Amino acid sequence: MFASSVLYAANSARPPKPASKVPSSQVAKASSFERDIQPLLANNCTTCHNDQLASGGLDLAKFSTASSILQHRDGWERIVQKVRTGEMPPEGLPRLPVAQIEALVKFVQSEFEKADRNVKPDPGRVTTRRLNRNEYSNTIRDLLAVDFRAERDFPTDDSGHGFDNMSDVLTISPVLMEKYIAAAERIASRAIGGDPLPKKPVEAEYHIKHKTIRRLDASTIEATHRLDWDGEYIVRIGLPGERGQDAKPVTLGFWMNGKLLQTSLVETKPSKLEYFDPYSDTELRLALPAGDHVFRAGFINDDFVKTVPEKELFNSKKNKFLNSITFVGPFPAKVEKASRKKILTCDPNTGAACVDKILSALARRAYRRPVTRAEVAALAKFAAMAKAEGQSMEQGIQLAIQAILVSPHFLFRIERDLDPTDPSKVHKISDLELASRLSYFLWTSMPDDELLSIAEAGKLRQPSVLEAQVKRMLADERSSALADNFAGQWLETRNLDSITPDPKKFPEWGPELRDSMKTETRMFFESILRENRPLSDFLDAKYTFLDERLAKHYGIEGVSGGTFRRVELTTDQRGGLLSQASILSISSYPTRTSPVIRGKYLLQNFLGAPPPAPPPDVPTLDEEAVGNAGSLRQQLEKHRSNATCASCHNRMDVLGFGLENYDAIGKWRTMDGKFPVDISGTFPNGKSFSTPAEMKVLLKEELPDFARCIIEKMLTYSLGRGLEKYDRKTIDDIGRKLSASGYQFQTLISEIVQSLPFQSRRGEGLLTKEAVNPKEVARQ
Amino acid sequence: MIMRKALPRRTFLKGMGTAIALPFLDAMTPALASSRIPGQAPVRMGFVYVPNGMDVRNWNLDYEGKLDKLSRIMQPLERHKQDLLVLGNLTHNNGRALLDGPGDHGRCCGSYLTGIQPRKSAVDIKVGISMDQIVANQIGHQTRFPSLELGMEDSRQAGDCDSGYSCAYTNNLAWRSETQPLPPVLDPRALFERLFGADAGLTPEARAQRNRFRRSILDFVTNDTRKLQSSLGPTDKRKLEEYLSSIREIERQIERAEKDNEQIDPQMEKPYGVPADFAEHFKLMTDMLTVALQADLSRVFTFLVTREGTSRPYREIGIPDGHHPLTHHRNDPALMEKVTQINTYHVTQFAGWLDKLKTIKEGDSTLLDNSMIVYGAGLCDGNRHNHEDLPTLIAGRGGNYISPGRRIEYRKETPMSNLFLTMMDRMGVHEEYFGDATGRVDGLNLT
Repeated sequence: MFASSVLYAANSARPPKPASKVPSSQVAKASSFERDIQPLLANNCTTCHNDQLASGGLDLAKFSTASSILQHRDGWERIVQKVRTGEMPPEGLPRLPVAQIEALVKFVQSEFEKADRNVKPDPGRVTTRRLNRNEYSNTIRDLLAVDFRAERDFPTDDSGHGFDNMSDVLTISPVLMEKYIAAAERIASRAIGGDPLPKKPVEAEYHIKHKTIRRLDASTIEATHRLDWDGEYIVRIGLPGERGQDAKPVTLGFWMNGKLLQTSLVETKPSKLEYFDPYSDTELRLALPAGDHVFRAGFINDDFVKTVPEKELFNSKKNKFLNSITFVGPFPAKVEKASRKKILTCDPNTGAACVDKILSALARRAYRRPVTRAEVAALAKFAAMAKAEGQSMEQGIQLAIQAILVSPHFLFRIERDLDPTDPSKVHKISDLELASRLSYFLWTSMPDDELLSIAEAGKLRQPSVLEAQVKRMLADERSSALADNFAGQWLETRNLDSITPDPKKFPEWGPELRDSMKTETRMFFESILRENRPLSDFLDAKYTFLDERLAKHYGIEGVSGGTFRRVELTTDQRGGLLSQASILSISSYPTRTSPVIRGKYLLQNFLGAPPPAPPPDVPTLDEEAVGNAGSLRQQLEKHRSNATCASCHNRMDVLGFGLENYDAIGKWRTMDGKFPVDISGTFPNGKSFSTPAEMKVLLKEELPDFARCIIEKMLTYSLGRGLEKYDRKTIDDIGRKLSASGYQFQTLISEIVQSLPFQSRRGEGLLTKEAVNPKEVARQ
Repeated sequence: MIMRKALPRRTFLKGMGTAIALPFLDAMTPALASSRIPGQAPVRMGFVYVPNGMDVRNWNLDYEGKLDKLSRIMQPLERHKQDLLVLGNLTHNNGRALLDGPGDHGRCCGSYLTGIQPRKSAVDIKVGISMDQIVANQIGHQTRFPSLELGMEDSRQAGDCDSGYSCAYTNNLAWRSETQPLPPVLDPRALFERLFGADAGLTPEARAQRNRFRRSILDFVTNDTRKLQSSLGPTDKRKLEEYLSSIREIERQIERAEKDNEQIDPQMEKPYGVPADFAEHFKLMTDMLTVALQADLSRVFTFLVTREGTSRPYREIGIPDGHHPLTHHRNDPALMEKVTQINTYHVTQFAGWLDKLKTIKEGDSTLLDNSMIVYGAGLCDGNRHNHEDLPTLIAGRGGNYISPGRRIEYRKETPMSNLFLTMMDRMGVHEEYFGDATGRVDGLNLT
């Protein structure tokens, strides 16, 4: 409320009036507020922010006493932020001396801290949360060793605060319930394989001539294919054409969903035989999982093709290329499925004891807690029921698995309270609940056996055990879920799949380049995580991860081939997230860059100061409307001469223009069309830069803000709820410890895990509802 | 290799095959509808929602009464003029800020069918039950699906949706309760499987067995949930109540399917994947919707064409720029022209669907005659974000109820909710209050 009014009110033309007098009763209680802070406001702020003018809707009368700091904490936070960044006093007025700014910040913060020390700690309460699509898929993978991709099947999970694991918005609809039931049937059947394969294998062909295949580049093709059964398949890749007499063999690769499955060497020189149309094919035999998959076939490191003129790329006398992928199958797999090995630990035909053994082991893992004998008996009834219907024992187990997979104990993460309706009853969650919180935070999946056993034994909170588990879990490859789900949403790189750069302006854009961009950011994030690097690496690391495609895109020499590797950067054009093409692309329009979007992105995701949306009657400044960059900068500057716009755009646009050396897909440029790129800028605090590298240096000075931003994002993600007023202390505490550790990434994670809201909960009560999203109120 | 000889060159089974959606076979079976619907054909009600307002200069008509010259955006509907009722001045006051600050896109979609101002929150969502669901609650038991929710665009995968409003408000039109949105089905294959069964290959016996199993499982989890609920706090209870109510809905579907074991043959191949081409996707979705309405699988639907705030480009018609950024055109004629083209393109698809609805005979009338389909936007002018005079038209006669071929201009600021109350009447659902309704609207029929 406060902030929005600050920003929306138009600049009044009326002459300023002197500040209103502070009531004498309050002056009597003299403190350093009256001595140091009050005059500062009176001399610098109340000329505009008074009861007459209330510039930006702010009348500082409400903020004239020490006690107001706690009464109007949101407002004070905003005041401090504006003053600290130099956004206030506005351009054109004398800047506050640094000492005064520091005095203000320090005083207000110490008041906050004093108050926080006296507040009864409140861990908040997380609503019972259903598994979202990623959690569901990963849990199925770890529970049953079945590859199932819920995002292809289930309706979109709504999100809030930028994350799709917020318990309050994870609702259940009848459509989703239908999907749960159907998925349970399919998954159970695939896990046990009790349902027979079709008698005859089926052939499905994807061919250029039928337009059923996409050509990604001259030697790569891709098709989306759905396999209805797990099994072995013959994959035949059609390879028309031939190359010169002395042509070298080339490596053919076959990928599923971006993962290289197999390679095979292909001869490319003309065969001795007289062909009318040169043609060969390569057959691979692979065990493939059921589901919709993107299959890609292509030559790896095909240097020859670069020498072929474009119009002869598909001339079968001049080049060898790919034109079709054919799937034949399924054939029964020769090796027993991993899922059967995992589930059928004994032969269910031997009797009830084995059925019970299988089902109690499964249910324990699926419900992520020990199960009662009654629960196992209820599940065993399904096995009996299938038997009574004339099915096999294995199909009976299959039916019991179906029941497990639609059970609320599987679909929801339920945490118990001593007294669910008494908000004053704060208590530690159980070890088992903590184990699930941990695994869904770090792995987006269920606890594994080790974690579950420790929790069952009640040892998870023993000294050093929890820390050791966190270390172990981060080292496990499942922790790359943090890159996919936390970083993918925090950095918004998940949107790479839905952006559509204009192919006329950006012919290089394609699924391959897009995947390379994704991989770079993912590997970069993972390396900081796993190697426990400092958070400042996100801003200015001197290394990154590249393959040849992306290295070329960046103009970096010496990286050849499709394998990603760590590259030490010698150029100051790249380094840190802000020069990664993924982020530069998702913060652009389809046809051009947008300094406003990029500036907003930085404020929101890096500096924790998201600008409010523009006021309803002022359209968002749409720089797409502007023909070229030369006038774009002028237009934006004009826009900023309007005080209403300036209060936000001053900082936002400077940040955005600082990245103008990168085009809308992240390529370096010095010209935008006919105009030379001018990125120079001055922040409201008076500091200037003239290259992206110099801007980065200034950004690095904001490391505490960046750290706080990432703490807030990660705490939100780890808890599955929005942050509340009472979480401030937790955020501050983590911030201090993080800073003391030199901002090491793993410190952030272990501090979150140790924090009060992660470890505890309380009963539900009015307390939670009153404090709805203080941050939104404060910032918007 | 031996296998290769043994197999025919190209064998397609259902469930395997081409990467692209096969075209719909236009020859549908008119006999289907008449055999399933004895006597008077039922009235169907639906909403087709387009985002980001419109270029209203090219939408608005400046006259009342008999439809004569249509505006540029409506031009594709010229051949359907006699089936359209164009409505002016309908307003959603609860789409406005009313002290809640920015977020018109989130608000206008959230309030569109609910008539309620959504709670401004990223996670603590709350709006109202939407009017289609009020109707579905009353009449939905007569059909296999109480209502159908369709869409064409997936949510943003990351980031904010609109100024502190949860993505739930822009991802969904239909709200089953004030906290439970109904997500639209986006993927043609998923819609196909929902409507016509993923298991067309099963024998009646196998299907019956599967239903028996499903029922037992649902009984089992219902019991478990009841036991759980007693020990939980109110919000947790509500979450599990959502789950239970969804289970009850599935149980009802199974019950209906058992009574009425007829499989509907949509006479089309199961579609694969989501077509990149907008028109193709729209046609697939509406083709299936047509069959569902014709076969009386449901009488209520919502179709969220694309999401509020969408930046989808329209390369299909040579527009590489995103839709939402274009609507903030700052009166640049070139950009406004593109907005008009997008609006017109949407209407073109809608008009094509109406052609299809007209070909389905129901006694002496057509499926379109027995429907009332609102086509409209939740914002008026996408540039100005205003909530009055929302672009709105109704196609169809609602079963001899609406007298189309006209334009009605209501008094300024007439609540859209008044129209919805009136439409609910027509569906046999008589409510005293809805959203911000102040009464009913007049003039939908001339009698």
